[in-house]
Amino acid sequence: MSLFHIIKKNAKRKTMQSSENEDAISNELLTGIFSEDLQRITKTFEKSSDVGFREFTIGNEEKTKAAIVYTDGLANKTSIQTFILDTLMNEPKQLENRKETLYSSTLFDWVKNSILTVSTILEIKDFESLYINVLSGNTVILIEGYKVALVASTADWEERAISEPTAETVVRGPRESFTENIRTNTALIRRKIKDSNLLCEQKQIGRVTKTDIAVMYINGIVNDKVVDEVHTRLDRIDIDGILESGYIEELIQDVTFTPFPTIYNTERPDVIAAGLLEGRVAILIDGTPFVLLAPSLFIQNFQVPEDYYQRADISSFLRMLRIVCFLISLLGPSFYIAATTYHQEMLPTSLLVSLAAQREGVPFPAFVEAIIMEITFEILREAGIRMPRAVGQTVSIVGALVLGQAAVEAGIVSASMVIVVSITAISNFVFPAYNMAISIRMLRFGMMMLAASFGLYGITVGILALLLHLNSLRSFGVPYMAPFSPLIKEDIKDTIFRLPIKYLVTRPRLISQNNNKRNTTPTSSKPEPRK
Amino acid sequence: MKKLSWLLIIVVFIPLLSGCWNRRELNELAIVAAVAIDKAGDKYLVTAQVIDPGQVSTNANGGGRAPVTTYSEKGNHIFEAVRRMTTTTPRKLYFSHLQMLVISEEVAKEGMNNTLDFLTRDPEFRKDFYIVVSRDLKASQILKNLTSIEKIPAQKMRSSLETSQKAWAPTVAIQMDELISSLTSEGNNPVLTGITIKGNRHKGQLMDNVEKINQDARLKYINIAVFKKDKLVGWLNEKESKGYNYIKDKVENTVGPIPCESKGELIVEVIRSKTKVKAKFINGHPRIDVYVSSEANIAEVACQIDLTDPAAIKKIEANTDKVNVDILQTSIKKAKKLGVDIYGFGEVIHRANPKAWKSLKNNWDQEFVQLPVKIHSNFKVRRTGTVNQSFLKKE
Repeated sequence: MSLFHIIKKNAKRKTMQSSENEDAISNELLTGIFSEDLQRITKTFEKSSDVGFREFTIGNEEKTKAAIVYTDGLANKTSIQTFILDTLMNEPKQLENRKETLYSSTLFDWVKNSILTVSTILEIKDFESLYINVLSGNTVILIEGYKVALVASTADWEERAISEPTAETVVRGPRESFTENIRTNTALIRRKIKDSNLLCEQKQIGRVTKTDIAVMYINGIVNDKVVDEVHTRLDRIDIDGILESGYIEELIQDVTFTPFPTIYNTERPDVIAAGLLEGRVAILIDGTPFVLLAPSLFIQNFQVPEDYYQRADISSFLRMLRIVCFLISLLGPSFYIAATTYHQEMLPTSLLVSLAAQREGVPFPAFVEAIIMEITFEILREAGIRMPRAVGQTVSIVGALVLGQAAVEAGIVSASMVIVVSITAISNFVFPAYNMAISIRMLRFGMMMLAASFGLYGITVGILALLLHLNSLRSFGVPYMAPFSPLIKEDIKDTIFRLPIKYLVTRPRLISQNNNKRNTTPTSSKPEPRK
Repeated sequence: MKKLSWLLIIVVFIPLLSGCWNRRELNELAIVAAVAIDKAGDKYLVTAQVIDPGQVSTNANGGGRAPVTTYSEKGNHIFEAVRRMTTTTPRKLYFSHLQMLVISEEVAKEGMNNTLDFLTRDPEFRKDFYIVVSRDLKASQILKNLTSIEKIPAQKMRSSLETSQKAWAPTVAIQMDELISSLTSEGNNPVLTGITIKGNRHKGQLMDNVEKINQDARLKYINIAVFKKDKLVGWLNEKESKGYNYIKDKVENTVGPIPCESKGELIVEVIRSKTKVKAKFINGHPRIDVYVSSEANIAEVACQIDLTDPAAIKKIEANTDKVNVDILQTSIKKAKKLGVDIYGFGEVIHRANPKAWKSLKNNWDQEFVQLPVKIHSNFKVRRTGTVNQSFLKKE
């Protein structure tokens, strides 16, 4: 058997073993014996000094033992002191109430229903959920003699304030972006959509990190099958940690072997709200401001939220510009290489003479020149991102210009190649979706190789292969190239150009379940001429 | 399935093993701007004018050299001579950007057919280069003349020919496809413009020629060469060339003198001209009618005339009609004298009456000499420029 197969077999065996071990550590329930339970919890958190314990007695009369477990830094100590300890330890009034009801309810129910003034209370019975809740910032209250523990929500920690989005800036439109706290993010979305049909289902994914994931959609508009599919795929994930939405994206996407993203991600609430209104499903992950949106279409990568905030003619023009930049970015150097090495007859004579003059004395063939320049630009670009702020901007711009100029003067590359590469690099930045922009940069190298080997014929074959691949992609069942193929005429109104909102009457047909007219404003809004 | 995908990957990569055939870098090309074909004894002498890109480009790093170089070789056939040239050229010649083809009178008198086959058959040649005949000189000498304003002499020849055709009636610009179609048609014969060097051509080959204000030698287009099929039989002078271009409906814009009533002349600028040639059969014999309708502006007045008077304008129009008819008839007379139908009258008759053409076509050149041609001219004056009456009128 080949090495490849042996490695695969071993990997499979290991995953199976670990899951067996998991089942062995069964989820033990609380015993009800206060000292034992407390000792067990103390032992688990023996070496974690930030988990705090507080034993106390409830009430003056009965003096029942109780304890709270919380994590310092995640739990709000003031609310613990004010709402839990204060109410439980000092209860002169409640005592009389309880006496009057003749002790009809248990201490536990009485504490839960009447005394604790916290906004959310849960009951838990096993140690696993106890640990999860303590480590999520909630406070767990153990009462002697009861097999059930109470969880009070007291989570409050330091986090980044809502700021402007870094990767998706607009000139006109809201400037808030998501933060790392999932509750803040759901709140931001709720502020945009105040409908009761906006549902927010929560789950936890990741064996060790136990990250909170929220799935939001508008019931009635969304396609139920897509929601079911999202849930199925999320439940299928078995990984130890989810740190960013990128993990989830890779684990639930339709096809992994493609340079095109089939799940959209953004850090702007208005984009998510617009997607939800069209019938898409949003997946929020705690710990990252980038929220996923499924299903996603190819044309979404060309759309910016600002398109809908500016007027229709401006937006249409900018959209077409983006498409032109996409083509330039993908095919620019390839066309140059193909035209100057294979198809010189296509160039006008004076241009040909000019280009030939520049190439005199250049040692490398056009393809090698192009590769050198492209890789240099990629290096500069990556360096510009990673460099500390102060130095970053100047070095990347000046570096590019000076390098290009110096290379031309040294005779390593020709000036026209520097121009072509700069234009393609700049047109790449016009592209709003960052992950798509990177994909195009990668594909550009493939196209250059095809152009250098087979000329225009190679470029045509490359474009055909790309088109075939794009058309075969599906995002959660929706064809990736909709509304172009299959051709849906009503949806074309919002693709290459954007018609005024008056004409955007229906929702995208393949994404939403109910094609209810989302917009029935009468198209003519001029006032009647005065008589 | 796994085996199939590996097989597919191998199949995709195999074409890369073959290398990139047909790949020619820009600095491996010798861009040929003009080709001249002469006769040297029994063989053909082919001269190619090759562009030196470094000398032509705008960033002049190292000027002082000539912008073009010529290479000449002999051979029994054109292609052979071209390939023999690789013994002297540093790169293989690249003909796709050919601007001009110059054929010497000698070759033209002998017959052009042998030289033209290679130029039409090879895929590297385009069909849009102009062909001219060198008058009184060897064709290779035409290529060696340096020109001012346009660095590449072939470029100068080409733009000069195109501009002249649009602005001066006696010049005609013929491209390869037109030449071939008039060669092969039975009722038509080709013509080509003639080119020559005015001045001292030996001095014209030196860089001195372009370093002065008044050059020693300049390229000039002169006359039109008349071919009987592919052999040169004669030349048309300026007036006859004008007539030819009018009949062939190639006049876009030209200038010509018209005599006034009183002594003197005035110049009209023809802005639009349309010619229709119709064939009629009278008693079984063919007759050609040429209808010329043109519109013109009055461009220069050198006589006493009142331009605000409509009657005067009418008189000018009538005079012009007479002048037009005269020009065209002169041209036709010369063609008849040479015995060659260069106007395509045969084709017109063929289109009008194919049956009659069948009997006429074998003897067409003799029939052409006796063919009656009637010219009808319809001339209109449109504008008189920005001045109504010439200030010369006021004595």
